[in-house]
Amino acid sequence: MKKVLIGGIGNVLLGDDGVGPYVARLLTAHYEFAEGVEVADLGTPALDLIDQISEKDAVILIDSVDVEAEPGTVLLYRKADIIRCRPAVRMDPHSPALVDALFSAELFGVAPADVLLVGIKAESYEAGCSLSKSVKASLDQAIREVLRELEGLSVEYRRRDYPAELGIWWATEEQMKSALAT
Amino acid sequence: MANRITIDPITRIEGHLRIDVEVNNNAVSNAWASCTMWRGIENILRGRDPRDAWLFTQRFCGVCTTVHAMASVRSVEDALKLEVPLNAQYIRNLILIAHALHDHIVHFYQLSALDWVDILEIPKADPVATARLAESLSPWTRNSKTEFKAAQDRVKAVAASGQLGIFMNGYWGHPAMRLSPEVNLLAFTHYVQALAYQRKALQVVGILGGKTPHIQNLTVGGVSNAIDLDSTSALDMDKLEMIRVLLAEVVQFVNQVYFVDVCAVAAMYPEWFKIGKGVNNYMAVPDLPLDSAGSSYDLPGGTIMNGNIGGVHAFKTASDKDFRDGVSEDVAHAYYRGEKPLHPWVGETQPAFTGWDGDQKYTWVKAPRFNGQPMQVGPLAQVLIGYAQGHPLTRKYTGLAIETIGAVGHIQVTPGMLESTMGRHAARAIRAAMLAELAQKHLQLLIDNIAKGDYTVHNQPVFDGHEQEGVGTHEAPRGTLSHWVVVKDQKIKNYQAVVPSTWNASPRDRSGAHGPYEASLLHTPLARPEEPLEVLRTVHSFDPCMACACHTFDPSGRQIAKVKVL
Repeated sequence: MKKVLIGGIGNVLLGDDGVGPYVARLLTAHYEFAEGVEVADLGTPALDLIDQISEKDAVILIDSVDVEAEPGTVLLYRKADIIRCRPAVRMDPHSPALVDALFSAELFGVAPADVLLVGIKAESYEAGCSLSKSVKASLDQAIREVLRELEGLSVEYRRRDYPAELGIWWATEEQMKSALAT
Repeated sequence: MANRITIDPITRIEGHLRIDVEVNNNAVSNAWASCTMWRGIENILRGRDPRDAWLFTQRFCGVCTTVHAMASVRSVEDALKLEVPLNAQYIRNLILIAHALHDHIVHFYQLSALDWVDILEIPKADPVATARLAESLSPWTRNSKTEFKAAQDRVKAVAASGQLGIFMNGYWGHPAMRLSPEVNLLAFTHYVQALAYQRKALQVVGILGGKTPHIQNLTVGGVSNAIDLDSTSALDMDKLEMIRVLLAEVVQFVNQVYFVDVCAVAAMYPEWFKIGKGVNNYMAVPDLPLDSAGSSYDLPGGTIMNGNIGGVHAFKTASDKDFRDGVSEDVAHAYYRGEKPLHPWVGETQPAFTGWDGDQKYTWVKAPRFNGQPMQVGPLAQVLIGYAQGHPLTRKYTGLAIETIGAVGHIQVTPGMLESTMGRHAARAIRAAMLAELAQKHLQLLIDNIAKGDYTVHNQPVFDGHEQEGVGTHEAPRGTLSHWVVVKDQKIKNYQAVVPSTWNASPRDRSGAHGPYEASLLHTPLARPEEPLEVLRTVHSFDPCMACACHTFDPSGRQIAKVKVL
């Protein structure tokens, strides 16, 4: 049995930054996964991300990314791409910490062998609980990338006949309905 | 001639702490603390059901999730005058304690130890000598030559690979780094070991809260945990036993490793007991309630003004009248419109960005004041206020810290010396040792109460049409947190969170009085102004948490701090 974490990262109160948790909940509602797979809404972790990613065989993270690209573009990153980034001086020690967490996990010898970051270029980080049009349009592709990674890892999954509860409590009822329709 | 230094981590998503200092003759002569972003998340809460508010506030910050959830349900309970059943109080207290222990361990090892520990010295250490030193300090069984050698090999391997990662930005070889190679190796080895114990503390939060990082078991009026000693799907004996075992391991790590390491590092940097004092008005709120009504607590609260420990004033309850009446926020130097300081229940947030100007407006952080005065909050405030009131648990561990630091460093330490940069670290370790003892006490209180046949976990909230105001407080790892809510027709009319880092990172107010970060930096000597390690040491000693709410990954590697000397 492979231990796999599928984690959505981001703040559901800040517009498109919530795309990671959103995708995590869509995956839970529409798919069943093999034993050993955990799908989690990780929120906006700092260094406690080390705890979440350590001692897994593989980690798939979904997060908004900041790159020069059209909003809604889906980009993929591997462990080496992430670790190569120069982390920030720890002025405010709780700053975003994906780079630090992965590096620390490597140092401690508990890092997952396989890491995929499914990045979605955001359009807006304005305070609010909904996704922009361009990011919504990329949800399907983000989900496909996650599933493709599972296939590459030989981890089984199955689409549910009837979607389970979506649990996107931060969204309005209309948003929930349209999300379940996808 | 004065030089200005700006330390500003750059990310495209702004929202970080920026520090500006003026340096004269290698010492700080003026300082400004600022936050570079406003988010207005509280506005999302207006119009929502107050029973749901905690789900949203839990997302304010990725690190302090549970603390914002707890302050939120407490604020609505205060507005409704709703009591909380004993079981729910104990379960909440255990979650808060476990979260705080996790947070304090992470703060010391992951976030600030490298301000004092020089990674480059580690390869020079002798693992045998390190083990001998460690055994003289603590009975910790993982202080073996083998563990030290393994940790040293990891550092050597990282150095050889050239992938320095998190170590890339350290001020290694800085003249203010002064530990021996052996003490550097000792602290680094515990930094590696700390990971396992942090996780155990989080597991306790997970068992009681349903999930981490976002707990699921809160509800206005109590908790939603089902208690049934014979059902594996409820809180049963097996889970309580699991919590006992996990807590025992965390408690041992706190007492034998974290507490000892802080004392040892403090003993070797005694000059840091004279640096970083700053604002000497202190405030803490009582926490860890021991009854349903919230009339007695395991942690005391109150205020100390102008460092007058003998004149301590106690807060009797977590929503003490003096506290609710005394808090206001001033925007004279913050990017908001507003004439006079306002109480949080009538607080306004009208952004008006004008750009950084040290004489005018320079931050998105408002200046909270208590009876018009800036206040320092955090473990130091809590320890001083408890000590001043003769609180036995505070006295016990403060005494132990003073004794240990004195013995290791052959120095005389007094409680007054805690008012310093190193004192803030020592106070955090003292608080952790207190909480470790209280963790076991509250678990026993819970078990004993269940054994009496009390399975109640929740009181039903009842709303009437009247407008109701409430304040919910929590003495969080970084200090006094308060959520202020106005409820009308079961909807939120106004919501303001006054967070610990707002008190400490506060800018000047209209009278020109510095906030705690700013005041603590004045007169700090800098060995190399272009490498302001000393500034980071003092700022980190507060454990700042500014705006961790937005979390985009920037793959271009542009996240480098700008240290600019003008």
